[in-house]
Amino acid sequence: MTDDLRRLVYYSRNRTSGASGGMDGTIRSILAASRVNNARVGVTGALMFNAGCFAQVLEGPSAAVEATFERIQQDERHGEVSLLAYDAVEARLFTEWSMAYVGASKADADRYGDVADASGFDLSRMTGDRLCAVLHRLALEEEAAAA
Amino acid sequence: MRSGRMPASSAATIPALGPFEAALAEMATPLLLLDAGGTVTFANDHAAILFAGAVTVGSSLATLLAAPEVGTDRGAERLGRSALTEALTARRPTRERLALEGGRLVEAALAPLSTGGFALTFDDVTEHLRSAALARLEPLTGLCNRVELHDRLSAAVAAAEEAGAPLAVLMLDLDRFKAVNDTLGHPVGDALLRKVAERLRNAARRDDVIARLGGDEFAILQVGQVGADQPLAAEALANRLVDLVGRTYVLDGQMLNVGVSVGIALFPDDGRLPDDLLKHADLALYRAKADGRGTYRFFEPAMNAAVQARRSLEIDLRRALALKQFTLVFQPQIRLETGEVSGFEALLRWHHPERGLISPATFIPLAEEIGVIVGIGEWALRTACREAARWAQPASIAVNLSPIQFRGGKLVETVTLVLAQTGLDPARLELEITEGALLDDTDGVLTVLNGLRHLGVRISMDDFGTGYSSLSYLQKFPFDKIKIDQSFVRGMAGSAECGAIVRAIARLGASLGMRTTAEGVETADQLDAIRAEGCTEVQGYLTGRPMPASEAFALLGAGAHVSDPPVSDVVPAEALVPAA
Repeated sequence: MTDDLRRLVYYSRNRTSGASGGMDGTIRSILAASRVNNARVGVTGALMFNAGCFAQVLEGPSAAVEATFERIQQDERHGEVSLLAYDAVEARLFTEWSMAYVGASKADADRYGDVADASGFDLSRMTGDRLCAVLHRLALEEEAAAA
Repeated sequence: MRSGRMPASSAATIPALGPFEAALAEMATPLLLLDAGGTVTFANDHAAILFAGAVTVGSSLATLLAAPEVGTDRGAERLGRSALTEALTARRPTRERLALEGGRLVEAALAPLSTGGFALTFDDVTEHLRSAALARLEPLTGLCNRVELHDRLSAAVAAAEEAGAPLAVLMLDLDRFKAVNDTLGHPVGDALLRKVAERLRNAARRDDVIARLGGDEFAILQVGQVGADQPLAAEALANRLVDLVGRTYVLDGQMLNVGVSVGIALFPDDGRLPDDLLKHADLALYRAKADGRGTYRFFEPAMNAAVQARRSLEIDLRRALALKQFTLVFQPQIRLETGEVSGFEALLRWHHPERGLISPATFIPLAEEIGVIVGIGEWALRTACREAARWAQPASIAVNLSPIQFRGGKLVETVTLVLAQTGLDPARLELEITEGALLDDTDGVLTVLNGLRHLGVRISMDDFGTGYSSLSYLQKFPFDKIKIDQSFVRGMAGSAECGAIVRAIARLGASLGMRTTAEGVETADQLDAIRAEGCTEVQGYLTGRPMPASEAFALLGAGAHVSDPPVSDVVPAEALVPAA
């Protein structure tokens, strides 16, 4: 039902500790689980991760989005979760994939680190929609790079 | 007794049973007869059904109990099985609960017979136990209820006493839950409670006991191995709870936020008895809430001391009226236009024989909380009216009303009675209320106010400018007077905003036909400023400190015009401030 389509945008501090290798493993396992779980319930979206935070867009039927978000809220690895937006939307921004992981490569990690340092990258200052747009662009770039 | 009767399946082939045999064979209670050695000599129809044909004449009790579909309820199999077989050997009665295939639970009762054998009967207790288990669950969340928590805590304390291991009791109270319930309705509130319960389960370990005690109160009993690391484990759990429960919820298409406050008591440091642990965890919770909510506090003995001190004050307060420890003092109110004393506000004082003078800021909230404010308020009203009735001039007398006095529906009756008893002209009585009185049940309070107004009594809005300062209250009831809170008067010298607020309230009063009194006037500069802003009356240390009844009486007896020439020229402070 299109009239029940909702988009949720949040970010949280990354609490996965230790070396970047362990961090990467954790993220990959979260991502793998998310891809499987979310595809089944019709939730799509994008996950952005860097050393400091997770940022995620979830799109889908409200019940599925609410259940997915509740699961995230109960995950201690997500600290200080800030919900930026939870709105009814006409259409999905992220239709093709269950989840997209942005920032897998070393080059990307360096790039996003630069953005954060140089621009004073502060997710809390963005509105939900702008965050969404940023996530979308980054996800598409990653897709293109992988192709 | 006939023996050798076949199992139920073949019972139909046995002809011509006597009435006793038929009764035994067909009665509703499953029955086995055993010989002295424990061999089955008879199984009635229901016993055959119960054991699904696995019991035949000639099989032994030991075989029956060893059957894979039969187990003891508590998993202590060998112990449990020996209970029946031991009783058999000892020839004494016993009872034991058995779990049968398919989840049915039966209670087996073994009774020695005078003939040397035994009767073994079975009660199906499945439904009984299921409903008993349900009775221990809180239906909305499926968590334990209070009864179950008490039982589990008692068991945990007993185990901890034996093992010498610590355990922790955490009391939880949601912050801002009432607002969710009030604004979004109970269905959303209930759905939120279920999600909170889910997060509690997620934050706690599997062994921990989680209970909903009602409303938005929960408790967690931290037991098991983790107990060895107390208080670190409790602190870690409390941190997790504050974090997880406080995270935003999305529910029913909406974003919701509540928080949780946590109080912790540890066994054995904070108590060895279940009730003490619960009480102390509650005190710690109280402190966590007082310290700003969304946090946790461990119990400290000082909390007990604070509660004891409060309790002791409460005991004194309950008898203060009977012991005549209250007095009234009277603070003059000056009409700015003429400089006359227009009236006095009666203020309550509590002189305690040991504690000395106790501040109203301390005892009024307590008196409101425990309800004695109604009696104290009535005493103050009667005393003030009686005093005012003696005055040489018809000056007004202002008496404060607590919001609590509006409950119970007797206020109008009380005021009517007091006016009749004291003979005071109702027009001279001013009852002062704060916005707090109007917050809950506004309509009910307005009805009472109209009833008071009908008596001819005047009504003032006290402490205006603090709290909500809702203009809608001014619109809903035609107050005779607005009293501007002293914080604005004090702030006028240093802050343009305070001056603007005083001016705005004064003009608001003027246009609504209400008089305005500026409270807390202490300097001549403040008085000039107040006058410039258009207030009609002042009250404060400058124009008169609160004084004993006798001085108020004398002041009015001395003449109406206490400040002649007008106050603008000479502030009559000397005339009004009694020599210290």
